[in-house]
Amino acid sequence: MYLNTLLRSVVLSVGTTLVCAVLGLTLAYFISRQGPRTQRLLLAAVIIPFWTSFIVRIYSWVDVLQNDGPLDSLAHTLGIVGPRSHINLLYTPASIGIGIVYSYLPLMILPIYVSLERIDPAIYNAGADLGATPWRQFRRIVLPLARPGLIAGSIIVGVPAMGEYVIPEILGGGKTLMVGNIIANQFQETGNYPFGSALSVTLMALLVVVLFVLRRYQLSGEPS
Amino acid sequence: MNLRRHPVSAVLSALVIAFLWLPLVVVFIGSFDTNSLLTSWTGATGHWYNEALHDPNVRDGFETTLIIAVLSALLSLAVALTGALWWRRAHGRARALYDGLVYARIVVPEVVFASALFFLFLKIHFTLGLPTIVIGHAVLNSAYATLIIQARLVGLDPALEEAAADLGATPWRTFRRVTLITLMPAIIAAGLLAFTFSLDDVVTSYFLQGTSQSPLPIVLLGMIRFRITPEINAVGVFVMFLTVALMTLAVGVFSTAGRLGRSSRKSRIVSLYEG
Repeated sequence: MYLNTLLRSVVLSVGTTLVCAVLGLTLAYFISRQGPRTQRLLLAAVIIPFWTSFIVRIYSWVDVLQNDGPLDSLAHTLGIVGPRSHINLLYTPASIGIGIVYSYLPLMILPIYVSLERIDPAIYNAGADLGATPWRQFRRIVLPLARPGLIAGSIIVGVPAMGEYVIPEILGGGKTLMVGNIIANQFQETGNYPFGSALSVTLMALLVVVLFVLRRYQLSGEPS
Repeated sequence: MNLRRHPVSAVLSALVIAFLWLPLVVVFIGSFDTNSLLTSWTGATGHWYNEALHDPNVRDGFETTLIIAVLSALLSLAVALTGALWWRRAHGRARALYDGLVYARIVVPEVVFASALFFLFLKIHFTLGLPTIVIGHAVLNSAYATLIIQARLVGLDPALEEAAADLGATPWRTFRRVTLITLMPAIIAAGLLAFTFSLDDVVTSYFLQGTSQSPLPIVLLGMIRFRITPEINAVGVFVMFLTVALMTLAVGVFSTAGRLGRSSRKSRIVSLYEG
């Protein structure tokens, strides 16, 4: 049972990091290609939601995701779900995933933006002039240049996400829990401190391995 | 076709920004809803703001949060400032270890830190309550404060301090008139950042509060578990504006002072002559 939860935490953390990477790369690339004024405006648009109360940001997703909520009505209008049924998204691993992506996304966007921002736009023009398709320009120019930011972002998103407590507490509805909730329960409710500590240490050990691998990957990617 | 002008990237970016703002809009609208169950929109009212303002739970929670935030921000600054000053002169392994400890506090999940602190206080028979929450917040937030102070410290030319010493300033006077003044914008920004993070903290407070009055985020968490009402939305909007104002101030202080600091170096050396 605890192994299941640990596995679910790993899957959720890896999955949300990947989604954050894709969304973050798209937006960071777009921002880095705008004029200085637009860049500042867009960065503010990314950061200001991040400054608002964490609890408020997370529970507002309960409003959005619940049956009869805005997303449910949208799904009805678009005909994705039938008139008598609902999206049934809230209190599932998917809703926890949405909450994690939402609250950690700015932490992915900013480091990628930093690594893309200094790049001379002439490089992109050169790629286009030499006849590369947009997809190829993206793969061969943007992706390698964004790599340091992507790795840094993955560390500050993936590692804390694995031990997330508040998001599964609110969006998991007490059913779909992550390892952070089990640790908290051992200390706050059952009073089984040794077991809570053992879980904490297991989580740490797992994360040290992840950090070590990412660090190696980061170093191996340095231009020679 | 040039990737720079590709429409797909613009459309996706607009969607991502909308995703980031959607919940805030929902909270804002919800805080004015006359329907207390929030099931359907029945009209607008400012009643919930009044309700939130007079709710003793919210008031006590907010008061506790403010006390914790002020004290833990001060403690974070003390730890970060002394640490960063030592770090500046440190070399080799000791410096790498210090950097590692700062980095670890930012990356390691908060649950791990909070449970470790809980265990530590239990072992040394230190009663859980407000002081332990303050210490807990300072342990985590001093790491962010350290990064900000270090960033400014790197730009501080040691020649300035040497000049002050050559001109006969005592070490304490040099520290006050040169080092501390140069670092002031970073200290203010770091303090505001630590304050804001403490306002928002859930996990550490939850582990370390014992039987004392809960800070506001935990009061809100309790209210949410019971039922979501427009009153919670109203509290959320209020906290939102407070945090945005504080953070804007922190960023403003750090960036304008950065520009001023560079231009006033000369005048500072002149002021040393004048005593």
